[in-house]
Amino acid sequence: VAFKDTLHRGLGRATEPQILFPLIAASLLAVIWGTTFSLVRVNQSVVAHAAAVSSRDLLGTYEAQVVRALREIDQALILVKFWAERDGSRRTLAELRDKGLLPPDLLFVVSIADRDGAIVDSTRPAGKQNVADQDYFRRQRDSDAFFIGQLPRGPTGEAKLHFSRRLNAPNGAFDGVVIVAVNANYFVSDYEPAKLGKHGVLGLLGTDGVFRVRRTGDAVISGDTIDYSAAVAGADDADATISTSRWDGAQRWTSARELYGFPLAVLIGLSVDEQMIVAQRQTRSYVGWAALRSALALLLTGVLGRMSWQLARGQRRESETKLAHAQRVEYLAYHDGLTGLPNRAMFSKLLSQSISEAHRHNKQLAVAFLDLDRFKQINDTLGHEAGDQMLQQVASRLKGCVRDSNTVARLGGDEFVVLLPELGDGKYAALVAQKILLLIAEAFTLLGQEFRITASIGISTYPQDGLDEQTLTKNADIAMYQAKSEGKNNFQFYSEKLNANSLERLTLESSLRHALERNEFRLYYQAKRDLVSGRIAGVEALLRWEHPDLGTIAPIQFLAVAQETGLIIPIGKWVLKTVCLQSVTWQQQGLPPMGIAVNLTARQFGDESLLADVTSILTATGMDPQLLEFGLAESLLMHDVDDTLRILTGLKALGIRIAIDDFGTGYSSLATLQRFPLDTIKIDRSVIRDYVGVTGDPKLADAIIAMGKSLSLTVVAQGVETKEQAEFLQTHACDELQGFYFKKPLPVDEFTKLLRGQATEITYIGQRLGLKAS
Amino acid sequence: MNNSRMKGIAMTVGALTIGIIHVAMAVEIVVIVNPKNTLAKVTGDQIEQIFLGKSTALPGGAHVSLVDQADDSALRDEFYQKATGRSKAQVQAIWARLVFSGRGLPPKVLGSSAEVKKFVASNPDAIGYIEKSEANESVKIVLALP
Repeated sequence: VAFKDTLHRGLGRATEPQILFPLIAASLLAVIWGTTFSLVRVNQSVVAHAAAVSSRDLLGTYEAQVVRALREIDQALILVKFWAERDGSRRTLAELRDKGLLPPDLLFVVSIADRDGAIVDSTRPAGKQNVADQDYFRRQRDSDAFFIGQLPRGPTGEAKLHFSRRLNAPNGAFDGVVIVAVNANYFVSDYEPAKLGKHGVLGLLGTDGVFRVRRTGDAVISGDTIDYSAAVAGADDADATISTSRWDGAQRWTSARELYGFPLAVLIGLSVDEQMIVAQRQTRSYVGWAALRSALALLLTGVLGRMSWQLARGQRRESETKLAHAQRVEYLAYHDGLTGLPNRAMFSKLLSQSISEAHRHNKQLAVAFLDLDRFKQINDTLGHEAGDQMLQQVASRLKGCVRDSNTVARLGGDEFVVLLPELGDGKYAALVAQKILLLIAEAFTLLGQEFRITASIGISTYPQDGLDEQTLTKNADIAMYQAKSEGKNNFQFYSEKLNANSLERLTLESSLRHALERNEFRLYYQAKRDLVSGRIAGVEALLRWEHPDLGTIAPIQFLAVAQETGLIIPIGKWVLKTVCLQSVTWQQQGLPPMGIAVNLTARQFGDESLLADVTSILTATGMDPQLLEFGLAESLLMHDVDDTLRILTGLKALGIRIAIDDFGTGYSSLATLQRFPLDTIKIDRSVIRDYVGVTGDPKLADAIIAMGKSLSLTVVAQGVETKEQAEFLQTHACDELQGFYFKKPLPVDEFTKLLRGQATEITYIGQRLGLKAS
Repeated sequence: MNNSRMKGIAMTVGALTIGIIHVAMAVEIVVIVNPKNTLAKVTGDQIEQIFLGKSTALPGGAHVSLVDQADDSALRDEFYQKATGRSKAQVQAIWARLVFSGRGLPPKVLGSSAEVKKFVASNPDAIGYIEKSEANESVKIVLALP
């Protein structure tokens, strides 16, 4: 399998252009040159074989020619010898010639010498007259055999070879010699350059190893000696073999054969260089052909390779760009743009991974939530840019005080989280938290100024505080709010001991922070009924929180937290702005102007920017201040009378009506009450419940109504739930009443419908209240 | 005889000799055949072909029997020079090759123009050459080589 993989990878890589095309080129070259060299080899061996065969065939022909020529000569010798010995006459040649029994005069000279060497007869009379000193004469004197003379070493020119036989006297004694002389060239006259070339050899070799004659090209030589047995060795039919000619050092396919019946051998040689010229020429043409094809193949693969490489490079670049883009997108998806830290999504992923790891290895891990205290102030006073700078610095400080294996992420706003995986023991988390607090507490330099900030940290640990991502996160969040409520600039571990109430409160606070930005607040409107006319006399705006998980939450459940955290200030501003806009909207819809009551909490009332905020909201919305009524708790007014008076006077100066809410629960001094610029008193629902009705004593309600009347205040009864209560209040001249008996609070749409139905009556009430319809 | 006279005769003989040689060199050669031969004319090329062994028959298909002058005769050298443009050695080499390879037989060699004339006169298919001055009615001239 491993081999197969390697093979597969190898094949895969081979298709890459930078490998594929050189491979193709190399294969093409290998094929071209392989073919060429094999052709050259074949061609050479064909030529060599042809030369060897040719050499042997030529030798056969030559052998036949030489044997026939020698036989003709010997027959002439024997014939002359016969006649000369029989007749004793020495003058027989003319007669024999006339009979045509001698070889042609043109080439051959036949002579007869007597026992002293004197020429006694000749077919060519003018010649040497005594041959006693010649080798053939001396040899014939000693033996009776066909003899072939030699020539001196060197070019033969016109020199003649002499063939002889001895003449015997009747008693067997030497009686002279018959000689046939022929030009040495005669034996090599059939040298055909077409077959033997310029450097072949054709020769007649004596068994004594002496060349009688040999010819190469036009040069006819005789007399040199070679090793006869070496030259003539070998089987008759064997092809010629290459050997080096001793006389000129040339390489030849040489073959030689001894003649039957004569002391001679014929020899033929074909020059290797000459015969191979054709093969060499062909080799050159093959090589040239191969070189041309190679160049073409290289050019073609080069061009194709380059095109393919460019294409591949283009594709690679494109995919690299895509990949880089995808990586960038992924980075952005999982990182916070401002600080470069992992974002909530990434943190969530890392946390669940770490939980699995910790679960697998039975380890602990910790999640530390960090929230900057008072960060909003930095943002508000220095601007967002400075705020961002601070967040960046916080991010780098956080990264600096944790291990590489720990993760710092930004969840949004001024919320950070540190993930401490593979926790040895809980102490490390505490150490880290402490270190973080110290580092954050160090001064920041923003816009050239030093600022200090603190942070609150909540820590939850796996597996004690939760086994899943959500629980751990939620519990760390809760612990963080615990730290906030413990006075900030500290860290808290999550604990089961946190009581349910505080748990709920902490959860509430956590989500309350986001309620405004998530637009979870709604206003409900409750009508006030004029007791004389029975019509709608005005409206009170009531805040509701539509929590995504908990449903609609009444202010009583969250106002304490809102007050404590100061969130009531932005919430209050939202309420006021929304009320004003709604009032203006109703009037624009053609509904009669109508007083709207809004309650203020102690925190709002104590807020220094209250007057400024109200003024700017009135200006911004175009609300008529005289239609606006602020409801204040009775207890609130008595807290700091001078301060209260100042604020109430300010509000009054704007034209806003003031109502005392929940009247009858506090201990108001009537004297003090008289100093305040009040317009309305609202009798608390407990007074109505306890004192109005069949079982109750109506005296207190009666007294309050009477007091209100005496102070020329509008008296409103709150929380009217029964018919008896309504009837009682009516008889005791209460101005308006409010409560479930009349109408429960309604969402804006339904309330608007209600208003449309009773538009005329409200107009009437408006007039009664001394307001002008606009 | 006085010495000066002897001298004069010798000079005259010398001059004559020179004259004869001169005349011999410039002699006109004729190719002859038997009078019975129907052939009227041959060309120089045909003669060359026949005397170099390249052809053994004359136009008309008649086999020819060649006769040559003696090996050492000046006439023979001159004939071959005129008829073939070749030297005696070259002609001999050509015939040597023909004979050696068995592809031909060289002309029969006769000792004198008289013998040639006699041979031609008595052989119907013979063909030979002599000086023009030697020619008579016993032979038929088919080509003159001036």
